[in-house]
Amino acid sequence: MSDHIDGPRQIGDPSADLTDLFAFTSPANPTRTVLAANVFPTCGQNAIFSNAITHSIVVRRAKVAGLGDSTKFATSDPEIRFSFRFDTLERALPDQKPLQRGTCTLPDGQTLRFIVNDEHGASTPDGTFRVFAGLRSDPFILAWIVSAMRPFQNLLLNDNVLCIAIEFDTRRVLDPDKGSLFGAIAETVPLTRRGEFVGSQPPRLDWVGRPEQTNVRLNCPFLGDDVDDLRDLWNQQVPFAIADELRPLFLQRLKDSLAAYDMRDGRQDWAPAALTANANMFLDDFLLFDVAKPITDTSHLEIEKSTLNGHAYETGGGRTVDADVIDVLLTWMVNRDREPLRGGTTKATKPGTKNFPYFATPNTDLQSVTDRVNLNAAPDRVWELIGQFGGSWHPLIASIKLTGTGIGQLRIIETIDGKQIIERLEAIDNSARLYRYTNIAGIPASDYTGVLEVKPNGAGSTVEWRAQYLGNGQGDLIVKTIVSTLFKTGLESLKSRF
Amino acid sequence: MFEMPEIDLQTTDGEIAVINLESARRRSWSRFFQAPLRDGVAEAVVEHEQLTSQFVGDISALDRIEFLAAELVQADAASARTALIQAKTASMMHRFDDARLFLARAETGGASTDDVQHLLLNIDQACGANLHKVLGARRQIANRYNRVADLVALGSLLADMQDWDDADKTFRLALSGYQDVSPFPLAWVCFQLGVLWGELVAEPKRTRAAGWYQKAIDVLPSYVKARVHLAEIYLSEGRLRDAEALLRPIVAIGDPEVNWRLADVLSAQGKFDDAEVQMESARTGFEFLLDRHLLAFADHGAEFYAGSGNDCHRALHLARINVANRPTRRAFEQAYDIANSAGNTAVASELLSASRKGVGHAVDAETSMNNYEGATV
Repeated sequence: MSDHIDGPRQIGDPSADLTDLFAFTSPANPTRTVLAANVFPTCGQNAIFSNAITHSIVVRRAKVAGLGDSTKFATSDPEIRFSFRFDTLERALPDQKPLQRGTCTLPDGQTLRFIVNDEHGASTPDGTFRVFAGLRSDPFILAWIVSAMRPFQNLLLNDNVLCIAIEFDTRRVLDPDKGSLFGAIAETVPLTRRGEFVGSQPPRLDWVGRPEQTNVRLNCPFLGDDVDDLRDLWNQQVPFAIADELRPLFLQRLKDSLAAYDMRDGRQDWAPAALTANANMFLDDFLLFDVAKPITDTSHLEIEKSTLNGHAYETGGGRTVDADVIDVLLTWMVNRDREPLRGGTTKATKPGTKNFPYFATPNTDLQSVTDRVNLNAAPDRVWELIGQFGGSWHPLIASIKLTGTGIGQLRIIETIDGKQIIERLEAIDNSARLYRYTNIAGIPASDYTGVLEVKPNGAGSTVEWRAQYLGNGQGDLIVKTIVSTLFKTGLESLKSRF
Repeated sequence: MFEMPEIDLQTTDGEIAVINLESARRRSWSRFFQAPLRDGVAEAVVEHEQLTSQFVGDISALDRIEFLAAELVQADAASARTALIQAKTASMMHRFDDARLFLARAETGGASTDDVQHLLLNIDQACGANLHKVLGARRQIANRYNRVADLVALGSLLADMQDWDDADKTFRLALSGYQDVSPFPLAWVCFQLGVLWGELVAEPKRTRAAGWYQKAIDVLPSYVKARVHLAEIYLSEGRLRDAEALLRPIVAIGDPEVNWRLADVLSAQGKFDDAEVQMESARTGFEFLLDRHLLAFADHGAEFYAGSGNDCHRALHLARINVANRPTRRAFEQAYDIANSAGNTAVASELLSASRKGVGHAVDAETSMNNYEGATV
């Protein structure tokens, strides 16, 4: 979720929709800093950047301007801006996969050309800057049903995003001797329109600072349906300079929202003055990071939290690829770090990597096969025949050998054409007449889960067999054919038995 | 003389937008198979399939949406959310009676009033029912939100009610207020302006319509409907090569209307064998669609058979099915016209009488058909 689909207007072009911003020390080289931003939530396998948008990451030097209930982080000019633009598609031949190129404009005005999805990215001749843009696995962990404050599996499992990342020499680019604390934002802005008044600002499509400003804090699920959706209005604000006349509106919403989160566990952990200070801090929405201190997977928000608690901060804050920011945020908002709140998982689909571009390779899509047959027999009779995990009823199966018992047992299947398939029983429910299993070997797909189920259908029954798996691209058709044949032949054979 | 306004917007390249739509569409299906009942997942599939059907001309999108609704029924037949998606699906298939039943069930089950009312407005508008009430609601929504989709719905309704100038103004308002970079809404508005000036106004202005269709195609080259409509204009002007160039790249999409128009173009070029191949594909294609989604394609099928599909009885049969399903002015006009062309004056007068009895927005229909009556009967 983070900033995923964070307003009605974002639904227009999803590739303008910023999901997350990251700032961390390069795991490969501690003298370098990485800034990254992701767009286009749940974008699938072939997504491409819009050629009509400028994607920027902007950094400003920051300082602590107040502690405790007077917490304030002030930022100052000049901006350090990295802007990415993308071309239309190129094809050497009409049937070839298209190629997209892009240009990154660096803070000193240099430009760097790169090819989208090239993991090596592109570097300036002196090696100061290196950039990447392309499809990656979404590292965000949303393992909560936030509206019910219920831990859940990661709702973004197997999702991809479009990622832009820039790595640079920290000392040369940020000059930390002048101050090592920085605030960062990312924004998407349409390209300047033809014929417009010179100097006029085009409308902003989206921007993001700290995670969850829009979807969790401004659009709090606990404030009821009658409150106005402020997300589009927020997205149109100028980062680092929220309009003075709108600050009271946003501040009040943040206070209401934070108060509602505070009471989710039935206990008030935030005194009114502290809650107001927290809301004021979140109103100045930029991702704080300090390049002179360690930025780790657990340091996210530490700068803000320590400052609000009246101490000097100890880490570099920021946000790494693997930071579980929702758990950090909910814990802070609900109980002010009294006890950690944990979602259903603390792992993303894939962890970040130690090497450039630090975001994991994209996920492939889940494929599915389903088949059914209606039978003139009561469900219990049908289940009696096919409900045994080691049952031998399928005409394409020569033999089945079981290893182990109960959940976790394996069945080793020899097919009539001499192939071996190994499957593991994951769940069985005889009253619901279904079992679920995973494939260990024999089917060329990953994350393969099958379900065999018998349902009542009038006086008879319906047998449904379904499977889902992550395809591996080229072999998808082969897998689909194997599984479909297996299902169809098995189900058809039942007709003659009942 | 009318001058086509310059559209001063840079939108995402149409090819990129279509690739991204397809990528997101596939992903939304994966998410659906993983967790069909999770909030927003089925809705995302419906939205992506709708866009794919509307802007890419992928007619199998309807089958996929029907499959989705069936899967949801299997998973959770009793929920208001399932009923709402069933209503949306039925509405897309032009099964409006079913859609109303599902909607009533959704409302009883606690679906959001806004969602129910929104779909009810669409159904009423598509069926030509309660149009003045729909108009009031459309104006209110458009004024409140000023969103492109709301303005297009209002403009289309004004066009249906023959308020051409207001319709034009409303579509232009949608264009001038557009601030996003997705090419889909922009292409949609341009297409609607093409239809308005090319087909709906009392005296069509083909050059103006062609300009709008061309703008829609400039923004979104894959826009099948815009290509077909522009090709029709080119064909009528004898610009056969231009018409063919518009249609050839989209034959593979599988929309029989493309085969039909291409057959007409080839025929006009004297390429009769090629034309016959395309015409046979069109005929097979229409029958396949009519067999699967009769109500959704009845008006298109009627138009085909009344034209070079050359089967006026089949055309009249389909046109009457369409009138019975959605008694709009345009449906009456089409059926009335086909009945007269078929020499079936009894059916023509039956249609006229039905329109006078207040079916749909009969007043508009009657006025219009009286004009027709004077000219053709």
